[in-house]
This record gives sequence, C-alpha cells and structure tokens, in this order.
Amino acid sequence: MNYDAVLEGLAELVAAPATDLTDSLFADWTRVPGPIGEIDIAFSGRGISYVRVVGLPDRTATGDFATSFHTRFGRPLRRTDREPPGLRAALDGNPPAELPLDLDTLTEFEREVLQATRQIPRGQTRPYGWIAAQIGRPKAVRAVGTAVGNNPVPLVIPCHRVVRSDGSPGEYVFGAAAKQRLLSAEREAG
Amino acid sequence: MDIVPTTTAVLPNAPPGEVPVDADLVPLLLADRDRGFEEVVRRYQRDVYSVAARLCAQLGNSDAEDLSAETFLRAYRALVGYDGERIAALRVRPWLLTILLNTWRNLVRTATRRPRQAPLASALSASPTGASAEPLGPGAAEVFEREETSRELADLLAGLPERQRLAVVLRHVVGLPVAEAAEVLRLPENTVKSHTARGLATLRSLYTEPGRRKEKL
Repeated sequence: MNYDAVLEGLAELVAAPATDLTDSLFADWTRVPGPIGEIDIAFSGRGISYVRVVGLPDRTATGDFATSFHTRFGRPLRRTDREPPGLRAALDGNPPAELPLDLDTLTEFEREVLQATRQIPRGQTRPYGWIAAQIGRPKAVRAVGTAVGNNPVPLVIPCHRVVRSDGSPGEYVFGAAAKQRLLSAEREAG
Repeated sequence: MDIVPTTTAVLPNAPPGEVPVDADLVPLLLADRDRGFEEVVRRYQRDVYSVAARLCAQLGNSDAEDLSAETFLRAYRALVGYDGERIAALRVRPWLLTILLNTWRNLVRTATRRPRQAPLASALSASPTGASAEPLGPGAAEVFEREETSRELADLLAGLPERQRLAVVLRHVVGLPVAEAAEVLRLPENTVKSHTARGLATLRSLYTEPGRRKEKL
C-alpha cells in the first residue's frame, strides 16, 4: 500500500521560508556620534526608521530608546555594529538624494510634510507655513506643526530647520535649547 | 484590526509530567524579550511557514511568507503584554500555530483583501520542496521523483475538507503530537485523530505511486 509513501511525502512538505524571517521582523539598532551628542538609531532593510539623541529630554519618549521604539512600532529590536547606508553623510548635512528611510508607519500627510522638510538647505530655516504651502495645504499650519513634531527621524530629516513665522525657534522634540544649538552650529558652519 | 486574537488569550499549561519543549526559551524571553524572540523565530519559522504554505494554497495569490511574518509580529505584540508568569507558562509552538490559524481565518474572512506583492508560487520556488528546473547529477531522478510526490500530495491536501487538511498538516507535515495538534485546533484529541485518519485515507486512495505515474499518463 501507499501508507509510507504518503507519510514520507507529507513530511517532505516541510519548507523553510526563502528568507530568514528575523530579517523582516526585527529592526537593527546602533549608537553612533551625532551633531549634538551620541544618537541611537534604528533601521530596517527598507531604511532608517527611528532616531533619538542620547541623554536629551524627549517629549515623545515612553521610556528608554528600546521602550519608545516598541511603543511606536510594535516590533522587536536587535543590536548591531553596522551603520545604515547614507547615515554619516546625512548627519554631516549632505544627505544622499536617495537616503533610504522607512516611514511606513506614518500617514501620507506626515510623509509629505517630512518630504518638504528635507528640502530645507543646511544653515537655513523655513516657517511651518512654508511647509504647508509646499504641500498644497496652506491652511494646515497647525497640522504641519504636529507632523513635524512627530518626525521619527530627527537630524536625518532636519525638522529643527522648521521655525515659527516670527523667526523664533519654536518647539523641538529634544527641547528648544537643542534646536537653537543645532541651528547656530549650522549657521556657523555654513 | 485587533492585534491579538482573543482566542489566544488563555492557553493551558503543559500537561503534568510532560517536559516542556521550550524549557530553554522561557529563561531567554524573561531575561531579554527581544533576544529571546529572535530565538523563537529562528526555531519555529520553518514550522510556521510550512503550515502557512499549506493554508495559502487556498488563498490564491496570497503569500505564505507574509502570513508567517504577520503571525510572528502578532505573537511579539502579544508577548509585550505578558507578565513573567504568563511567559513562564508559554508553550511556544502551539501558541504560534494558534495565532497563525487565527490570522489566516481573519484573512479568509476579509472579503476585500489587498493584493499581495509576491504570489505563493514565487515564495515557494526557493524552498527545498520547490521544483528545480534542471535535474542534474547523480540522484537527480530520485530527487525529481520526490518533488513530484510532494507536489501531487500538496495538490491532494488542498482538496481535503479544512478540518482534515489542518489535522493532517499539523500531525504529518509539521509532526506535532496529537495533544499539541488538539491544542492548536481546539478540538478533543479523538476528534483530531479521526480527522487525521479520514484525511489520510482520502490521500491514500487518490495518491498515485511514483512508479505507476507513467501508466497514468
């Protein structure tokens, strides 16, 4: 009879996925030097997803870097010594045109706001209203402010260059003082 | 979308006298959840994916790899809410497979599925049971014959009633003990046994032995 052949055939239907699932499930994280102290950075195969400055107050934090990441993304993290491609240039103010970012958890509106924010040159600033106009939503200034404040990758996307219409720095995820330091350093360098 | 299927909320502890298979995983999960979970994925992705592949055979162009990844993500998000006691009582493989079945059922129920990027066929093509286009070298004929057998059985399995198919896949593709399959299917052990027996009987009656395949053509 076919008894053994059927059971053997069934057992051979066991198959491993084509790619190790840990690669798509886990984000890698590492700690590197940044413009205002060390930064913790998380990235997936799709690109950089989360950036935080070590030791600065963070008004969006729910705990340490890993805890805040878990709250925001609901994914596991694993430590790596690698840096994501393009990071160094981005932190030095020369982001490659195609810097890979993983902004999948954001809304379309938030992505548009951050895309416009990326266009602000180093050493310059733009008011929230400018971003609103850039994305064709000139009246959505307040929503733009919220989206900028929700930027998961500060420094890499320079949300510190978005300021109030009167030119004062305004709010920043790591505090107004950090924003002022970043802007002053960029003006001096520029 | 609910993150954790409610039916996974309560799982029985290991039966008395049985040594938990995951005795080494629990301390890892308790000490460092993310590192422990990495080991969970490495250890069980093959089992989860193998069942997912058999489930996806009926989902058209859905992707077994997507379903497996979604299963592990839901498992992780559930794990984040577990306290130490809950983790210590965890029987990892039946827990994962229960989440897989719930995720799959949700998928099937959702009438408006978004189209998946990679069809099942491409996900399977790089797997050990995928068809190799050019049989080469000694033993190639034997390998080819085995692949033919697997393909035919996969087709026959897809035609079984759902309960029989699930029971056969859990028992004889992944090799779960009856008790564990019963836990995943939430059925009495005897019911699992009879679904498995009926499924196997159908497979045997329809299955063509490799040697007789040419006669059939």
